[in-house]
Amino acid sequence: MGFLAAGIGAGIIAIGAGIGIGMIGKGATESIARQPEAAGDIRGAMLLTAVFIEGVALIGAIVCLILALGIGQ
Amino acid sequence: MRRAAAIVLFLLAYSPDVIASVANNDQESVNDQESVIDVMGKVSNHDYFELPWTKVYLPRIVLSEGEWFYYSSTKSAIDSGEFITEDDVLVRANGSEITLDMSITSHLIYVWMGLILTFIITFFAGKKYKSGNGRTSEPKGALLNMFEVLFVFIRDDIAKEFIPHDKYEKFVPYLFTIFMAIAFMNLFGLLPWAAAATANITVTATFALITFALTQINGSKDHWKHVFLFPGVPAWSRIILTPVEVLGLFTKPFALAIRLFANMLSGKIMIVSILGLIFVFTDLFGAYVGVGSGVFWVLLTAALYFLKVLVALIQAYVFTLLSAVFIGMAAEEHHHEHDETTVAHAQDVQS
Repeated sequence: MGFLAAGIGAGIIAIGAGIGIGMIGKGATESIARQPEAAGDIRGAMLLTAVFIEGVALIGAIVCLILALGIGQ
Repeated sequence: MRRAAAIVLFLLAYSPDVIASVANNDQESVNDQESVIDVMGKVSNHDYFELPWTKVYLPRIVLSEGEWFYYSSTKSAIDSGEFITEDDVLVRANGSEITLDMSITSHLIYVWMGLILTFIITFFAGKKYKSGNGRTSEPKGALLNMFEVLFVFIRDDIAKEFIPHDKYEKFVPYLFTIFMAIAFMNLFGLLPWAAAATANITVTATFALITFALTQINGSKDHWKHVFLFPGVPAWSRIILTPVEVLGLFTKPFALAIRLFANMLSGKIMIVSILGLIFVFTDLFGAYVGVGSGVFWVLLTAALYFLKVLVALIQAYVFTLLSAVFIGMAAEEHHHEHDETTVAHAQDVQS
């Protein structure tokens, strides 16, 4: 049961984080194309936002790892 | 191309041995399918320090019933008769509890190595700057140039950008130290026999706690006002806002610790799992498929290693960046609560 839950959970995390980071990448590339001279600032802002999404996704990944390894059972 | 062919030949030259040993162990591997590959053992904390050719057992220091016990290794602790192991955990033989386990572990060694390397580099760079090299002239020497690039990067792109201008200077040493230490610890994890100390939640939590303490100590009056008496909202909504803001104080360092920990942990697990696929394929389809597909898995692992070098440096950067952002957010003083937008607009026009 733990393995099933971990697998489904990891898949949902991948979907969520993928959509989130994809949207950030879309926004960043579009704005760099529109304003190439601000590429440095945009890249910094992009990284900062991507990192927050990554943090949430990794908390989910840790929960999946705990489930899969059966810690606390 | 010739080198790649040589590598493939080298791998193939080894395969008969592998196939022979697999064929011999075939009956055994059916019997004990439990003990395949210890994936977590590669990333977890151990009582020995692994080197390519040997294992160095580390001292155990244990406080039990108000008495300190010192042993040179786990084995000598068991030999003394005072301790036994249960599931690889040291417990007292007479059943009494262990109050404090101050044993030196492999991850602690890597933390020390990271900190000592940081200290050595900054110490020598500082000495050179004192002698005038780099201050009165351009920095000479590869090491000093690399140091200056990194230091200026931390100072200008991280500290100056996210911490208010009148305060950023006193945080630069901390940010630089934490960047270098985490980068070294992450990069140690790339050695095949070593482990990243940052793949241990206690290590990252300690770093996050230091950042948390610095953030709160340097918090301005406005920071605390924002937490307990959020300005510009109806009084009744503070019943919800204040708990959320107080919770937000603690989730920030928590996320900081989890992020670094999970990144470093998952990297190593992924590499060991992909290499483990060789043995999975050997078990499923026989030795020839296992060894043959091994070429592909090894190439994939090599590609992942390049990714891991990037991740190691990016995570060190991200930890430093977020520390700076949190410190900057707390240290900021709002002079123009009422017309923030107009001030921001005026700044845009000026610049």
